[in-house]
Amino acid sequence: MDILGRILMVEDDPRDVELTLTALGEYNLTNEVVVTRDGKEALDYLYCRGNFADRTSDNPAVMLLDLKLPKVDGLEVLQQIKADEKLKMIPVVVLTSSREERDMVASYKHGVNAYVVKPVDFHEFVNAIKELGVFWAIINEPPPGSITKGK
Amino acid sequence: MEEQKPSLLNDPPLAQRYGLAVVSVALALGLAILCERFNFREVEFPLFLFAIALTVWYAGPGPGILTVILSSLSFNFFFTQPIYTFYVQRSEIPQYIIFVTFAGLLAWFSAVRRRAEKQLLQSRNELQKQVAERTQQASLLNLTHDTIFVRDMKDVITYWNRGAQELFGWTAEEATGKHAHRLLQTGFPAPIEEVQAELLRTDRWEGELQKTKVDGSRVVVASRWSLRRDDQGRAAAILETNNDISDRKRREDEIRQLNDELAERTAAVEASNKELEAFAYSISHDLRAPVRHMAGYTELLQKHASTILDEKSIRYILTILESAKRMGTLIDDLLAFSRIGRAEARATTVNLEQLVKDVLSELQPETDGRNIAWRIGALPDLYGDRSMLRLALVNFISNAVKFTRTRPHAEIEIGCFEKNSERVIVFIKDNGVGFDMKYANKLFGVFQRLHPSEAFEGTGIGLATVQRIIHRHGGRVWAEGSEDTGATFFFSIPAHRR
Repeated sequence: MDILGRILMVEDDPRDVELTLTALGEYNLTNEVVVTRDGKEALDYLYCRGNFADRTSDNPAVMLLDLKLPKVDGLEVLQQIKADEKLKMIPVVVLTSSREERDMVASYKHGVNAYVVKPVDFHEFVNAIKELGVFWAIINEPPPGSITKGK
Repeated sequence: MEEQKPSLLNDPPLAQRYGLAVVSVALALGLAILCERFNFREVEFPLFLFAIALTVWYAGPGPGILTVILSSLSFNFFFTQPIYTFYVQRSEIPQYIIFVTFAGLLAWFSAVRRRAEKQLLQSRNELQKQVAERTQQASLLNLTHDTIFVRDMKDVITYWNRGAQELFGWTAEEATGKHAHRLLQTGFPAPIEEVQAELLRTDRWEGELQKTKVDGSRVVVASRWSLRRDDQGRAAAILETNNDISDRKRREDEIRQLNDELAERTAAVEASNKELEAFAYSISHDLRAPVRHMAGYTELLQKHASTILDEKSIRYILTILESAKRMGTLIDDLLAFSRIGRAEARATTVNLEQLVKDVLSELQPETDGRNIAWRIGALPDLYGDRSMLRLALVNFISNAVKFTRTRPHAEIEIGCFEKNSERVIVFIKDNGVGFDMKYANKLFGVFQRLHPSEAFEGTGIGLATVQRIIHRHGGRVWAEGSEDTGATFFFSIPAHRR
């Protein structure tokens, strides 16, 4: 476990960001987390434009995507990523409050790699985030061209 | 006419006809000889001519010629000098020739006249037959309940049956001779020129027309026109049949109106369903987040401040956490409940026995370590949505498990009895804490609980969800029980595809 993949988090709610980062922090997974606050910013990051024009063009190792987002919503972001030759390899995990079946079905139809409903109970939430982070940022071999960092 | 018929139109047998020739000549001869005896002279000539005329008239030309020949011979033999020979004296020749010529001419005239008379009779009979037929047809047209009238090419009514009288109110006498469209104030769906053009092109036309009765009320009729052409192929008359479809029209209008209303209501229901769905969707997204944050931050607070918090503060924090968790469960249950109403039911044949087994293994964490005697009877196949029925069974059975918790020897029985071949009644019986039948009507309401939550946890949505599921399957759900002796829950459900 000497390689840590970059996590791109797309989340508009600052409290959720804080709680998620806290959870990741308990397992020292926060170093390589990039937080974007809406769908547009997430796409800017992925396409290296706007505030992210200077970054290296490598893809994140995993993307944690909320569905209800300002400007461009999560499903739209997912659709764009999975329709793009260069981006479609990025593993995308939908991390959302909603247990609605139609969100789930739509996400899987667009080719999401995992769908996680944020548990209300904080312990369960921390566990879920930890397992997600450990699996996608450490255990999983990201596709070639992803940003990773020796731990 | 009837008596002449056999003599003129139906010739008697040959023997009779030629017999008449012989007999008439013999009679004329006999009379002539008799007259001669009594010194009446020169009567033979008209007598023979009479016989000839009679024979030709009644027996036709053939016997007529025979009569002429026989008369000539008799005349020759008996009345020309020298008599009783066929020899004709020179002085008698002119008289004889006159007789023969006269006889021949008379026979010929008679024959011609007879033929003319015969033809006349024939055509008269035919005409009478046709008239009889037409009369019969007309009275048949009168018999039908359909409205039929005939008009000529100037739209003047020439025939008007009883059905027309019944529908429009005018008698045949009143209607005949009137202009049809003016009398009935016919309203056409298309310009009348187009209607006429189609009629002339195809010899028929069909369509809905509006007409007016004698009392001024309007009727809608399904009208069919047929064109009659004369021998030269010229359009001669139009036969028009009309069926009153006003009632049908009215019913169609009513149905259309009802359909419109239904569509409106459906749209309204759809709109409110959509609203409900949007509502549930935003609850799912937006209501859960703050609850999660409450739980999360309280947890963090507890962790950060654990050293400075006294026992009371820790209990407060725990209560906040519990409440947040409970709120989360409530939201989830409420969403599941609303989903039953919104989700599309996918009906298949469901093996109830297998479903119960699945549910029991799912509930194993709750039943582990408990002393429960299960009695599960033979269960039938049902027709319904598998996942919904499963949810209903989970609720029923976990309730039974939950409310027998205080019993050292819990007994839970699942069975069924068939009400008839179409419906099945399934029951889940336990020996748990039961309930007071006074509150039986509250069992299936949302958020209705009959036990304090300290004793038995739960949100009070489970049985409401169950009821919704069973109602969606066209079934019924009810319960029997008494306090402290147990409860039995029943549901009826169709056994087969409806």
